[in-house]
Amino acid sequence: MNPTSSSVPDHETIVRRDGEELAAAFPALLVAADRVASTVAQGVHGRRRVGQGETFWQYRRFEYGDSPQQIDWRRSARSDRLYVRQTEWEAAQSVWLWSDPSASMRYRSNRSLPEKQERAAVIGLALASLLIRGGERIALLGHPEPPATGRAVLDRVTHSVLRDMGGEPPGAELPALPRLPRFATVVLVSDFLVDPGLLMDFLSRIAARGVRGHMVQVLDPAEAQMPFRGRTRFRGLESEGELLVGRAESLRTAYIARLGELQESLETFARRTDWTFATHLTDTRPEPALLGLYTGMTEDLHARV
Amino acid sequence: MLSVGALSFALPWLLLGLAALPILWWLLRAVPPAPVRVVFPAIRLLLGLPQHEETPHRTPWWLLALRLLLAALVILALAHPILDPGRVLRGSGPLVLVIDNDWSAGGDWTLRRDSALALVDEAERENLPVYLATSARTPGTERPPLQPLTPAEARDRVRSLAPLPWPSDHAALLAQVEQLELSGSANAVWLSSGLSEPDREGVRSRTVLLERALQRLGALRIVKPAPLDLPLHLSASENTADGLRVEVTRLDATPDRPAALIATDEAGRLLARQEFAFPGDSATSEATVALPGELRNRISRVSVEGATNAGATMLFDESSRRRPVGLVSGDTAQVNQPLLGNAFYVNRALEPYAEVRNGAIPDLLERQLAVLVLSDIGNLTESQIDRLESWIARGGVLVRFAGPNLADGSDALLPVVLRRGGRVFGGVMSWERPATLAPFDETSPFAGLDVREEVVVRRQVLAQPSPDLAGKTWARLNDGTPLVTGEKIGDGWLVLFHTTANAEWSSLALSGLYVDMLRRLIALSQGLSADTTTRPLAPLANLDGFGRLGEPAAAARPLPAGDLADVRPGPNHPPGFYGDREARQAFNLGPRLTPVLFDSHGSGVETAIYGPSEQTDLRVWLLLAAFALLVIDMLISLGLRGHLPGRKIAMAGSLTLLLGATATTVGPDTADAQTSDSFALLATGETHLAYVLTGDTKIDETSRAGLFGLGQILARRTSIEPGSPIGLDVERDELAFFPLIYWPMTPGQRPLSDAARNRINEFLRNGGTIVFDTRDQNLSGIGGVGPGTRTLRTLVEGLDIPALIEVPREHVLTKAFYLLHDFPGRWEGGRVWVQQPDERVNDGVSSVIIGSNDYAAAWAIDVSGRPMFPIPQGGVRQRELAFRFGVNLVMYALTGNYKADQVHVDAILERLGQ
Repeated sequence: MNPTSSSVPDHETIVRRDGEELAAAFPALLVAADRVASTVAQGVHGRRRVGQGETFWQYRRFEYGDSPQQIDWRRSARSDRLYVRQTEWEAAQSVWLWSDPSASMRYRSNRSLPEKQERAAVIGLALASLLIRGGERIALLGHPEPPATGRAVLDRVTHSVLRDMGGEPPGAELPALPRLPRFATVVLVSDFLVDPGLLMDFLSRIAARGVRGHMVQVLDPAEAQMPFRGRTRFRGLESEGELLVGRAESLRTAYIARLGELQESLETFARRTDWTFATHLTDTRPEPALLGLYTGMTEDLHARV
Repeated sequence: MLSVGALSFALPWLLLGLAALPILWWLLRAVPPAPVRVVFPAIRLLLGLPQHEETPHRTPWWLLALRLLLAALVILALAHPILDPGRVLRGSGPLVLVIDNDWSAGGDWTLRRDSALALVDEAERENLPVYLATSARTPGTERPPLQPLTPAEARDRVRSLAPLPWPSDHAALLAQVEQLELSGSANAVWLSSGLSEPDREGVRSRTVLLERALQRLGALRIVKPAPLDLPLHLSASENTADGLRVEVTRLDATPDRPAALIATDEAGRLLARQEFAFPGDSATSEATVALPGELRNRISRVSVEGATNAGATMLFDESSRRRPVGLVSGDTAQVNQPLLGNAFYVNRALEPYAEVRNGAIPDLLERQLAVLVLSDIGNLTESQIDRLESWIARGGVLVRFAGPNLADGSDALLPVVLRRGGRVFGGVMSWERPATLAPFDETSPFAGLDVREEVVVRRQVLAQPSPDLAGKTWARLNDGTPLVTGEKIGDGWLVLFHTTANAEWSSLALSGLYVDMLRRLIALSQGLSADTTTRPLAPLANLDGFGRLGEPAAAARPLPAGDLADVRPGPNHPPGFYGDREARQAFNLGPRLTPVLFDSHGSGVETAIYGPSEQTDLRVWLLLAAFALLVIDMLISLGLRGHLPGRKIAMAGSLTLLLGATATTVGPDTADAQTSDSFALLATGETHLAYVLTGDTKIDETSRAGLFGLGQILARRTSIEPGSPIGLDVERDELAFFPLIYWPMTPGQRPLSDAARNRINEFLRNGGTIVFDTRDQNLSGIGGVGPGTRTLRTLVEGLDIPALIEVPREHVLTKAFYLLHDFPGRWEGGRVWVQQPDERVNDGVSSVIIGSNDYAAAWAIDVSGRPMFPIPQGGVRQRELAFRFGVNLVMYALTGNYKADQVHVDAILERLGQ
């Protein structure tokens, strides 16, 4: 019997335990995202038929090195040569997702609500799931991996998102921009509670590359309505400092106006650059937000082709 | 000391703190309530917003008031306020404190002393000198004059006072008080017993005079016990036929005051408790402690239950218990044939109840004698008759038995005149049948005794008919002829049995009735007059003022020889036992007391009743109130900050606080649930295997799992289907319900308490079996001693562990169910020790089995039925063998030598074959 077995766990144990916890959360999040995605997928089913996402592109001669699975036997049977069926996938858009991992996203005003980052992750991953079903290539902003498609990619993306969610210290307020190809699409799921100048600068830089974007602002109901009363000391999550307010209720109108201003400016930006902008509260269901996002994207994708 | 009416402050300067309240008020007004802290990610949007109301939320005025009140309460509490409505001392005159510390003070001494101390405290606060006088009789007649004492000295004196087991001497006290020369008016307080010295021959009671003398000094206040606290005392006792009759006297007149007497023996063991009540308003009550004679003789002390004074305690010495009975037999020739002798039967009948002395009449009368039995003495000499008659007249009881000598001719010392010769029934030549007894008359001393049918009288002496014969007849035969006659002479009795003391003339001497009748006759006697001594008796043990028997008092002197009636209890003769251990004399206070209630007081005398100090320390209550306000303030603050969403929660919170506070103070101790009946029911509903809880959770769980696993195996393979294993705390739980107890040894086990040791010894003696498992076979090297063995050695110290041997080859353990050669557990090779087999003890089952192989670990299975611990070497087979040993063990414990018979089956078969 080892008397020390019940003592303080060593580092390896902690890492393994954290890994296991992450693994336990992984399917849950993925399932949630999948469930959201499948609801939406059924809803947009009719539209997808019109599109050409995974459809035929061309036949070409079989070359040494091609996988035998790729041979289209029907076409090949009509001649003496072997043909390979090539689909449209190469032309698929690459979509860059960003679900905000910053500290301000780790917030919920009430235990019954999910954290903002959780909701952002669900929306982001559900979208990723839908896109991968549509054969699009996806990548995460702020992560080095290039866009790719397939179920494995979804798993990898989910893992990365999960790691960002639990990571210490929390991720950056705005991601570093990779070299985005033209006609790429960027999906930003965030609360957009950063310095407005920085935010506009960031968005403008993306738009300048001809990249289209879709923004979803995820807010906690407390952030939307500011229900606080009385003498209150506010503290931010991202070292913004503290603010002592004598009567919190007296600031509500001004606050809501300011929030409206922020959303207005984002909306204006979206209109000007042909982006989309939507807001989502964590006390509502994520499906409508996802549906709106996805509809906008598919139209957009198909419009490009 | 600052006093405002009945309220005084011990630390009045702290009240200056109240002046700081306005400052506090200003501060509280100026400082806004603490803000709520809120984490808010969108703070960026708030930053820079114009704040319309810069001034903070003002604290509401009622909250301000609440907090000011809180502060005021704390300040007041710190000033230590004392509410004392019972302030007694007035003016600046000295305090003259008279304390009755006589016999009756024992009952309420604490109250009396506390009252005195409170007065001294008050005198100290007022800075007054104290004169202290006590009332109980002191060795000398002259007392020194009273001296003024400082309150501190007086307090020491009061603390050293104790009640004394004798009456007050108010005369001496009076002299002392009269000598007191005081310049001004004094505060006189008399902490009285409420008793007065009786008036004597027209002289005014000293008590009244003392009261007047005290009143002359200044204002007099007399404090007395409440009527129900007035002492009871035992004023008389008498040994009667039914029991020990004790007379209790009271001073109060509460109707139907119930009380009880307690009779204890020499060692203080309770012999009897007799309840009694004072009927109506009578001053005395009689209680009879009814006990069989043997027990009654052991009574050494009778006291009123709950009473702590010397008067309520009565001591009993040997003289009041056994009455000496002299026995003179006329048939000295028959000493060699005791069964025929007269003396033999009387001796045997009286020995348990009385001290029987044999001898000649003059020798016997030399000493104190309660009863004299003359068995078939025909003619007494004149001088003997004279002596006997005067002895009877003083209270002696003379019992004569008839016999051949008496029948032939007798002297005159008889209750009736006899006819010469006897009367023979049922002889060979007679038609008459032997006569039987008639029921006893109501007036007879034998009334109430059952007449036995088997008693037959074959011969008797007959009385001459006379007018008063019927009145003198105490027992008669069926034909009306007297069998026992008696006559009162002076204070004593002369009794004649018309038949012999032996079985020659009747079978009376063979029946229990004989004993009963003799006992009644002994009860007729007055016993010895206890209050005379023949020589001075040194004190042996004395009662103290609380009625406790202890060492002789320092000032106690020997009791003088002679009559004790005029010896007054006092410092020289405190109540208690005198003499030496063999022949001691009880000297009781109660019968010598003549207390009179002291209830008429002169005008202007203030009277009061002892009670607990009326001083109330307000500090605690103020602090409690402040705490309550603090809690309320906290809740209100929380509510104002919005931390309390609803009133319900606030209510729940305060309720929880209150309940929590009360629960912590009065929470009952509900431990020991296992000793209850439910545990017994649980344990006996099925056969349970049991293990001893060691305090080591892991080991305990292993034991439980092990016995559970063994139980599964037993249920599967044998007809034993044990219930779930039960963990036992040997310090607390009853062991008797379990046939087999598994006891693993862990290093942490503490040595057993005596109670647990007794319980385990009992268990082992009555057929229980304990399996000690030292679990250290893997650790004990060659010749080494493992930790488990060391624990075992300390644990079994004081247990009745029999001589042990290693399990012999043919032991029942090897054959009880499976045939086994060794007994592995988780480890292998450990030796197993059992008691030296002895078929006569415990059915041949060893009460102790000691192994070291960690059996429970081998048997232990988890919920899904898998073994919990690996077996290092033997693997599956060793586990199976361990289970087989377990099966054998349980079989052995449960069946005993039934299985032992099977051990011998070979020999039996062999014998049958022949």
